[in-house]
Amino acid sequence: MTVGDRTPLGRLLKLWLPLGVSLLFTLFPFYWMAITSLKPNQELYSRKVMPLIVHHPTLKHYVDLLTETSFLEWTWNTFVVAVVSTAISLIFGAMLAYPLARIRFAGAALVSFAIAATYLVPQPLLFVPLADIINSLGLGDTLTSVILTYPTLLIPFCAWLLLGYFRTVPGELEDAARIDGASRLQTLVKIVLPLCGPGFISAGIFAFTLAQNEFLYALIFLTKTEVRTVPVGAISELVRGDVFYWGQLMAAALLGSIPVAIIYSFFVEHYVAGLTAGSVKG
Amino acid sequence: MTAPSLAPALSYRRPAFSLGRWFEQPNVFSWLMVTPPVLFLAALVGYPFFYGIWLSLMNRPVASEGTFIGFANYVQAWHDPVFWQVVLNTFVYTAVATLLKMFGGLGLALVMNQDFRFKNLTRALLLLPFIVPTVLSTIAWQWILDPAFSIVNWTLVALNLVTPPGPSWLGNPHLAMGSLIVVNVWRGLPFYAITLLAGLQTISPELYEAATIDGATTWDRFRFVTLPLMKPVIFIVTMFSVIFTFADFQLIYVLTHGGPANATQVFATYAFDIAMTGGQFGQGAAIALTMVPPLALLILAMALYLRPDKTT
Amino acid sequence: MISVSRGSRREFLKRTALGAAGTLMAPSIVRAAPRALTMMHESSFIPPFDAFFKNKLAAAYEKATGVKVNYDIVSVGGLLTRVTTAAENGTGPDMSTVGFNWAYLFDEKLIDVSDIAEEIGKDSGGWYDNAKEAVVVNGKWKAIPYANIGQLMNWRTDWFKEAGYEKFPDTWDELLEAGIKLKKNGHPFGFELGHGFGDNHGWLYPLLWSYGGREVEADGKTIVIDSDETARAVDYCRRLYKETMLEDCLAWTDVSNNKAFLSEQISCTNNAESILWAAKKDFPEMAKVIDQSQNPKGPKGRFHMLNPQAHAIFAHTPDKQVAKDFLRWLMKPEQLGPWYDIAVTYYQPFLHKYDDAAMWKVEPRNIPFRDATASAHLPGWPAPLSRAQSETIAKYVVIDMFAKACTGKSTKDVIAEAKAQLQQIYKTA
Repeated sequence: MTVGDRTPLGRLLKLWLPLGVSLLFTLFPFYWMAITSLKPNQELYSRKVMPLIVHHPTLKHYVDLLTETSFLEWTWNTFVVAVVSTAISLIFGAMLAYPLARIRFAGAALVSFAIAATYLVPQPLLFVPLADIINSLGLGDTLTSVILTYPTLLIPFCAWLLLGYFRTVPGELEDAARIDGASRLQTLVKIVLPLCGPGFISAGIFAFTLAQNEFLYALIFLTKTEVRTVPVGAISELVRGDVFYWGQLMAAALLGSIPVAIIYSFFVEHYVAGLTAGSVKG
Repeated sequence: MTAPSLAPALSYRRPAFSLGRWFEQPNVFSWLMVTPPVLFLAALVGYPFFYGIWLSLMNRPVASEGTFIGFANYVQAWHDPVFWQVVLNTFVYTAVATLLKMFGGLGLALVMNQDFRFKNLTRALLLLPFIVPTVLSTIAWQWILDPAFSIVNWTLVALNLVTPPGPSWLGNPHLAMGSLIVVNVWRGLPFYAITLLAGLQTISPELYEAATIDGATTWDRFRFVTLPLMKPVIFIVTMFSVIFTFADFQLIYVLTHGGPANATQVFATYAFDIAMTGGQFGQGAAIALTMVPPLALLILAMALYLRPDKTT
Repeated sequence: MISVSRGSRREFLKRTALGAAGTLMAPSIVRAAPRALTMMHESSFIPPFDAFFKNKLAAAYEKATGVKVNYDIVSVGGLLTRVTTAAENGTGPDMSTVGFNWAYLFDEKLIDVSDIAEEIGKDSGGWYDNAKEAVVVNGKWKAIPYANIGQLMNWRTDWFKEAGYEKFPDTWDELLEAGIKLKKNGHPFGFELGHGFGDNHGWLYPLLWSYGGREVEADGKTIVIDSDETARAVDYCRRLYKETMLEDCLAWTDVSNNKAFLSEQISCTNNAESILWAAKKDFPEMAKVIDQSQNPKGPKGRFHMLNPQAHAIFAHTPDKQVAKDFLRWLMKPEQLGPWYDIAVTYYQPFLHKYDDAAMWKVEPRNIPFRDATASAHLPGWPAPLSRAQSETIAKYVVIDMFAKACTGKSTKDVIAEAKAQLQQIYKTA
């Protein structure tokens, strides 16, 4: 078996072929977005030219996006909202997950059931009462409104995912720490958390992505251009009547995701480093 | 975890009673940890949820007082043929998309768990569909699925396999559901793969080495080492995916809005339309709430799994 | 968390109650507060239309009166969600554009503006009758209609000529005939049959009406969808789809037919003025061979879709008089005229004063939009405004009746299903 892995054919079948197909499927729509954002409208709508190539590239859509809309402001808002709500969700998620994963305590079943039940609540059902709460707190048209509401979608997920990771930490490590005199909190912070870095990164990536993608609450709570996030801002100002500003929308999609992609690739590095460290310790 | 509750008491060189030791008690420590997030969720999910249940028992048109009508909204949904189509659509959409993401994600994670050049770059690239705002990437798919511009149609037409314009990916009621599933998988697969990969990498290589020495084949190692250890992560990601796919809204709302003739209408879009466009909050709430029982079965399974019984 | 939100909620309710009482008893005191108004609009297809309000109208009003008017743009399709939240929670913008039957839906949350309507009507040549169809609730004007965004036939003159048509077909039957020829020439039709907001209703309701079909009688109770007239309209629609259109039309939303028309996939569709607009901007050659015509007529006449845009004032606005003053000012010809001009007939006035306004001379191909206004009605017509109307739209009852027929279901079945749905909807309404 191991020999098969090393032959060129084995590598091709087990690595490059599936990887190549996945990458093609994953990246083709991005290629499409990129060429759409570079095509002048005349070319975009033309069925006579080969659609996979840009014949007359133009940066007009990018220039229009950056000069005629508040795109940079939306990007900043999105970033603030996503970072803060992710932080809240990870902290609260860990606070829920650790006791459930590691400690026998009265009412644990109830708590785990309650978290699970949180996800049963359909979003379209929540927004009218939530809008009421937000307005009562005087938070309409502030970023705080979505920073408070996004964690309701994110905490249960973070808790479940972290719970899975907390369980993978060998119990002996904790027992040893406790025997050495560490408190529960110290054990958590010094022993368990460092081993669960990948879990936090996965949960963080997920939470961050959901937060920056969220559309419904952002649409309802953020009506002023200055406080909008990228998805709502782009849809509000680049969809006019029944005409889409395709080029600008695609430019917004790409510009909106590139910074995040860079941050992610940075985290992916760290996360691998963290893993190696973890396995050495383990 | 059963023995250590005594162990600290023995090893601690502290006074007999202290706040610190009180804090160390399992119940106290645990409840201090879980209370803040539980209160947060109770305020922002619990209250609106019960409000929603109340709404579903009312005839409550938008911007006016409601009247209590008991289960009439549920009865109406029961007799509504579109509702049953919505149920069927949602199940098909969720089941097929989740299975594809589960097997595809696990496969991709295993592939990526090998050593190869540009590994980090590949991983970052694969995450892209997940990063880009869904409403905007869905708009790109609107072109990709347009028969006049679709690369699939171009190829089929060029090979003389079909007459132009070729298959209508969204206009054909049977293909439409398949197309939406493809877009959903495109969006969700990367997260599956990356999360499972993270799980794979927490498995100690020594375990594989030991298994190989014992003469295990690749399949044996996967079955007896990888799969059991990965179970928790697979389980949680799958549950989560089921729930998210079940309640999917943005993607369908933008691409077909439930058309053609309700062939792709699902719970979230139908409930939203009735509550918002139709201005019938009670009815919309009732339909949104009927999502709960089928999901609850899954959640029950999860709650059993999550119960902290056999702590390692 | 819970106690905080409850406490402030109670306080908030008290505050609003006091505020409302204060307004009733002593308007002058409240009016002393810093004055600002917020108007909410759906983002216009014509960007300068939004800009004109923001930069010209709002600025002029602030200069004249000291009242600052903010202009909030909401995405297409997002306006109803925003109006709902504002009306439900009693917060947010003071005024908003409302469409369709929203004046009725939000009746209790909007203030009576009959006096403004009467005054404007007197000054500006009188209202079109169907303007009242959308905004008069229990004898009171709950919004001031400022425009109709009509839906008409958009077609390619060059391809129609090629098939032997100099003029747009006058009847549905002739349209079918033309479509068959055009499709043979490689230029199919494309009418939206999917779950969009406008371009589906824009032709399917007029089609139903012009064959004599109705959902419900004028009493708003008797369901009459199950008729031979409806059956003929459904049969016609199935043929038009099968023999002249692209398969993709079944899934189209409002944006799709614009895209298909501009990418030269289709030779005819039903749409607002946006196709000709976009063509003039990006495809000047194509723009020369586009024309717009009224819907064809059927055995029972010629109909169009009413797509009213009206300004309403929320009851929660702190000072109703300030908002009313602004609305009255806005609707005066000195303001409204130039605002219409900016959008060159994309917004068709409901006031006869503008029937021969200069803007109609800018693009003669838009004149059919003016002429179509009088024969336009809301979905649900001839029944009065109702909640059932909204629910019918939300469930796409009529649209899907036609769409299902196009996918091959029998006329009898699709009508029976629509009838069952309508009975359910109108009973509970």
